[in-house]
Amino acid sequence: MSAQQRTISLMLKPDAALHPEPHEMLPPGWQVIHRSSGSEERTFYDTFEWHAFEKGMALVKIKNRFCMLDLASGSEITSVLFTRKPAFFPVTLIPEGEFKKRLLSCTTLRSLIRHCTIKTETLSYRILDSNEKTIAFLSRESLSLVGPEKPEPFATLFSFTPLKGYHEEIEQFAASLSSHEEVAERCEFRDLFALIMHHAGCSEKRYSPKIQLHLERDAPVHESVRQLLQATLTQMQQNEAGIRKDIDSEFLHDYRVALRRSRSILKQLKGVFELEALTRYQEMLKELGKRSNTLRDRDVSLLQQTALATSLPPELRPSLTLFFNEIAESRTQLHRKFCRYLASPSYRSFLEEWEAFITEPSLPDPLQAPNASRATHEVAVAAIKKAWKKLLRHGRKISREATDSELHALRIDCKKLRYLLEFFSSLFGHKTMTPAIRHLKELQENLGNFVDAAIQLQMLHRHLLSLPPTDNPTLSAASTGGLMTIIYQKQEKARNTFHEAFRAFDDEKTHHLFHTLITCPIEP
Amino acid sequence: MKTIAVYSIKGGVGKTATAVNLSYLASLSTPPALICDLDPQGASSYYFRIASSKKYNSEKFLQGAKKIYRNIKATDFQHLDLLPSDISYRNLDIELSEEKKPRKKLKKNLEELGEEYRYIFFDCPPNLTLLSESVFAASDLILVPMIPTTLSIRTYTQLQDFFEANGLDGSKIRAFFTMVEKRKKMHSDILHEYRNHEGFLSQSVPYNSEVEKMGIYRAPLNAVHPASVASKAYSALWTELQALL
Repeated sequence: MSAQQRTISLMLKPDAALHPEPHEMLPPGWQVIHRSSGSEERTFYDTFEWHAFEKGMALVKIKNRFCMLDLASGSEITSVLFTRKPAFFPVTLIPEGEFKKRLLSCTTLRSLIRHCTIKTETLSYRILDSNEKTIAFLSRESLSLVGPEKPEPFATLFSFTPLKGYHEEIEQFAASLSSHEEVAERCEFRDLFALIMHHAGCSEKRYSPKIQLHLERDAPVHESVRQLLQATLTQMQQNEAGIRKDIDSEFLHDYRVALRRSRSILKQLKGVFELEALTRYQEMLKELGKRSNTLRDRDVSLLQQTALATSLPPELRPSLTLFFNEIAESRTQLHRKFCRYLASPSYRSFLEEWEAFITEPSLPDPLQAPNASRATHEVAVAAIKKAWKKLLRHGRKISREATDSELHALRIDCKKLRYLLEFFSSLFGHKTMTPAIRHLKELQENLGNFVDAAIQLQMLHRHLLSLPPTDNPTLSAASTGGLMTIIYQKQEKARNTFHEAFRAFDDEKTHHLFHTLITCPIEP
Repeated sequence: MKTIAVYSIKGGVGKTATAVNLSYLASLSTPPALICDLDPQGASSYYFRIASSKKYNSEKFLQGAKKIYRNIKATDFQHLDLLPSDISYRNLDIELSEEKKPRKKLKKNLEELGEEYRYIFFDCPPNLTLLSESVFAASDLILVPMIPTTLSIRTYTQLQDFFEANGLDGSKIRAFFTMVEKRKKMHSDILHEYRNHEGFLSQSVPYNSEVEKMGIYRAPLNAVHPASVASKAYSALWTELQALL
């Protein structure tokens, strides 16, 4: 008796006065036989950015298995034995296999977070036709949220799983039931998932690290910049809880990107706010950024621990553990300190003050902020043009040797341009903006590899100099030296390929894209 | 995939009971299994309480694996499916004769099902026609149930002669005795005579009124009364067959 066909689910109307019994819904000649009854808890997980959901999957912990379900059909893609039910955990904790492999293809950095747990009370039946042949399984599921309060069912589902060869009969039957006054329309698994998340209060908290603004072409730039700053402030606030709970390092990363984006736009778009207030807030945002600089550097080092350790011969790996333990310890202290700051009255009052400043709709004094009332598209074109030209000018000036400081400075120019493009992207044609950003990203990748290697080299060098003359310093020095050699080679590779990467950005095709951007923003 | 045709020129020898019980046993030991009811009387479909879809007929059966697959139905037993018969199967021979290579048709149509099933059983109608020849070509083993009587022996000989005359592989044929009543002298004598005969299985199935009641149970006897004498014999027969396949 193989039930290979797709399950058809119908939802009982929430306001249904009567709850029909399964046998009351059947056509003449058919009957139901009770099979079993039971209840189970289902715990839903996903990342903060809903990576699994975005890829059409639901991650559900049922009993001692972690199941990956297809959001369209509700059928299991794969599952893995997993007995724990933590509030959050890194994907690396999942045992090796298909489940982990698929999940890692969605995200390597983000932890899985427990979104909600529901309890399902199920009554199962067999449906027999007039020959008393089993043609389908029927389950009546009552769903309630598991939480501190007494669970109240929020949905009742009838699910029909036809046996092979009986799909048509069950389809027709389900179609006739859809018109039953107590039963709602057919409910796909995706709808059910959305309903569960809605009841758990998760559905409205979708988060994206990308800036998605819909700017108005002729709106005063003051209004548009405020819109961006409000969005970045929201992003910072959305990430605070994840930083405090130490769910994964991406919370701090996104927090810092949002902060940097705000600072960069304030710095590049001059004359939009009154100078005195602007200077004050710029300074405060800068200080805020500084507070997590070292913490982020530690995160980056720890994220690369496995890759770095495995790049060394096995004999040299154990002595690296001590080094990474020190980094982890220092990171814990820095994290604690930063969290204390996030909880401090001074931070809270800064946020309140900052929020009040960026939500103030009235235009500033034109004498103090002469550009505030200019149309957004005008300012956008001028700013992008300036940042792009500056990037080209600085890039072309870089010597054949491509020194550390030259590449560091160019990386900052790239970021500035990138933030501008992303901020103003809704004012420009998608067909021009997307490839322009892609070309810039390729150059940024080269520079990012270079700078990351430089930071690691500095850190390793400091470590090498600070090695105590106890234990076994020779091995520690050898492993640190080994790592420095590998990273140095990577850095040199990035340095040697810089001119090629820059030429690719400074080519005719990219020029054409940027020319189009600054000469033909989309019409109102 | 292994294909087993339960076949006899003679009717009333227990072909359907054999096909139903052996396919059930196959679904337990080496799942999944499929039983194809090729007899327009549809006895094995009836035993499993399955009727073909209204749109299904002999034409669809000859159209190929996709049409066949769409009409396969799950039985009430896990890992055992059935392709039901339809009354239009009475015309299968005529329709087959209009095909290009009628004797290879069944084999070709069922090839793709090999990915899904470990065993396919054919419950064949009692005659010797073009459909029978197509079944012979598609089968790895032709299992012939025989009541230990002279008439049954005669049909077995006729089958062997047919294979020889048509250049078919006679080594596929395996006979076994059903409805054996050892108290009857003729049964006892024939059983003794064919005990070590080439092409005959050593296991026989005794006469058991429980087998007739399958029409009431509408389920394999081995599922309903696995401890009955006939069920035990079918189990032993399946063990013997598995060793051969």
